[in-house]
Amino acid sequence: MRVLVIDPDPARAALVAEGLAGVHPLEVRRSERFDEREAIEFAPDVVVIAAESPDRDTLESLREASQANPRPVVMFVDRSEPGLAEQAVRAGVAAYVVDGLAPARVRPILDVAMSRFALTQQLRGDLAKVKADLESRKTVERAKGLLMKERGLDEDGAYRLLRKLAMDRGKPIGAIAADLLAFAGVLKGDAS
Amino acid sequence: MSGLADLKLGFIPLTDCAPLVAAKSLGFFAEEGLDVSLSREASWATIRDKVAVGALDGAHMLAPMALAAAAGATGGLTLDVGPSLIAPMALNRNGSAVTVSIALAEAMRAADPEVMTEQPVSARALARVIAERAGQGAAPLTFAVVFPYSMHNYELRYWLAQAGIDPDRDVRLVVTPPPRMVEQLRAGDIDGFCVGAPWNAVAVLEGLGEVLISASAFWPGGPDKVFGVTEAWAHHYPDELRAALRAMIRASAWADDPANRQDLIDLLARPEHVGVAPEALARALNDEIVFHRDGAGLPRREHALWFLSQMVRWGQVSADADLEAAADAVYRPDMFRAAALTVGPVVDPAQVFVDAPPQLAPLFEGPRFDSSLAKRYAAGFSIGRARA
Repeated sequence: MRVLVIDPDPARAALVAEGLAGVHPLEVRRSERFDEREAIEFAPDVVVIAAESPDRDTLESLREASQANPRPVVMFVDRSEPGLAEQAVRAGVAAYVVDGLAPARVRPILDVAMSRFALTQQLRGDLAKVKADLESRKTVERAKGLLMKERGLDEDGAYRLLRKLAMDRGKPIGAIAADLLAFAGVLKGDAS
Repeated sequence: MSGLADLKLGFIPLTDCAPLVAAKSLGFFAEEGLDVSLSREASWATIRDKVAVGALDGAHMLAPMALAAAAGATGGLTLDVGPSLIAPMALNRNGSAVTVSIALAEAMRAADPEVMTEQPVSARALARVIAERAGQGAAPLTFAVVFPYSMHNYELRYWLAQAGIDPDRDVRLVVTPPPRMVEQLRAGDIDGFCVGAPWNAVAVLEGLGEVLISASAFWPGGPDKVFGVTEAWAHHYPDELRAALRAMIRASAWADDPANRQDLIDLLARPEHVGVAPEALARALNDEIVFHRDGAGLPRREHALWFLSQMVRWGQVSADADLEAAADAVYRPDMFRAAALTVGPVVDPAQVFVDAPPQLAPLFEGPRFDSSLAKRYAAGFSIGRARA
């Protein structure tokens, strides 16, 4: 089976393609954009497309054209699997299949695509959290430095003061540190 | 959460998303007790699917897209559960235009300089260019529209056919998302397109295209986008729907007011909204798009029937389909009126609450559309694919 993956996000497309290569004897091609000539040449049985790709409307119009002039791609409608299409929409994936292809054969493909989309989202979330943590640690270091300088505290004392402020106010220590730095900036005339 | 809920509404980067964007940014939704988040989407198909499964509560939509499923059109919903879409509000009138590449405009002027000075201009010069190209064995010209079920598709087809050009045989019609029209014109992949604002103006300002006819010349006051939700959602959340409509009615009135023009342009120009140069946005806003006045927000049955007549004309919908039933199932002026009743003085009662519609303006070179004879009208064109 030939699967064409269209995704403006190349990293995610690679992840989907890699996942698909493992489940089936199939040929997977990925592209950031849908190109009709390329698609005709590759003749995919299934097109998996990210919901955020504007090319969906182009793909959809091929189905429309199939009335007068038979075209290979029709939309994936699987009556035997209620909720699957809905799941796919929520995951941000749409699938178009060649007319006549058994829906059961598409299921594993869509499952892989959805799981890879979820994985990407989770990885992005983790990355954002790591960045935020790192940012927060830097802020705490700077706030500590400020307290050490202004209040004559040692490093441990400065940290304990920040932690106490955080506990008293029920806020994360990073947020307290950021507030402290911002107010110190105002007092020094950095902002008005 | 109690009372009015959080709403997630989708839009496509086009000037006519203004009622949603303004209602959010000016706090009209918030004043109605709604916490609305806007989601910029990349395709109409995704808008339709997300609204259908409830991933969006409502969205900026192509009116014919909302009508297509109800009329039994073949390119219907992805989902077999097929929740019915309804249009309780029209977002704007006019706004689209036909633009061709500079090279094609020059070729048209060379082929028939006189026709090209007509106002509004017809496609007769284009017909001559097409005939010349066919004689030379050149490839057919390619035109892009935004979706099979769109005002843009019907407007371009109608305008071409009036000049004797068969849009299915004499040119190649493709679908291209609005933000990609200009780059495809630049790349020479397409020779022209019909798209909504601001993309025609973007092509002109970049020196790539020439606008031949705008919707307001094609059909003054003609319909364009709607606000769409599923019937089930409207049934479960009538208060939220009314509140959202009230906020968008106020936003539409605000967007129409010339005093707010610059603020609207600045708002739409932001990258999270339409994200194009203010000059490009200004053009259609100055003398083309109407959001509110003349009862523009009322989803009119006659407009739905015109769209449906064009679906029949081009073979998207069977001539046996019950067009009136489809129009009445989707277009819901009653819901608009229920919201307009409580919105205050921004609504002109004579435009919104009077049943007899003001007579529709005639379309380009064609007969005036009589909505009671939609099928006869659909079959009455010399170029068309109406199928029984």
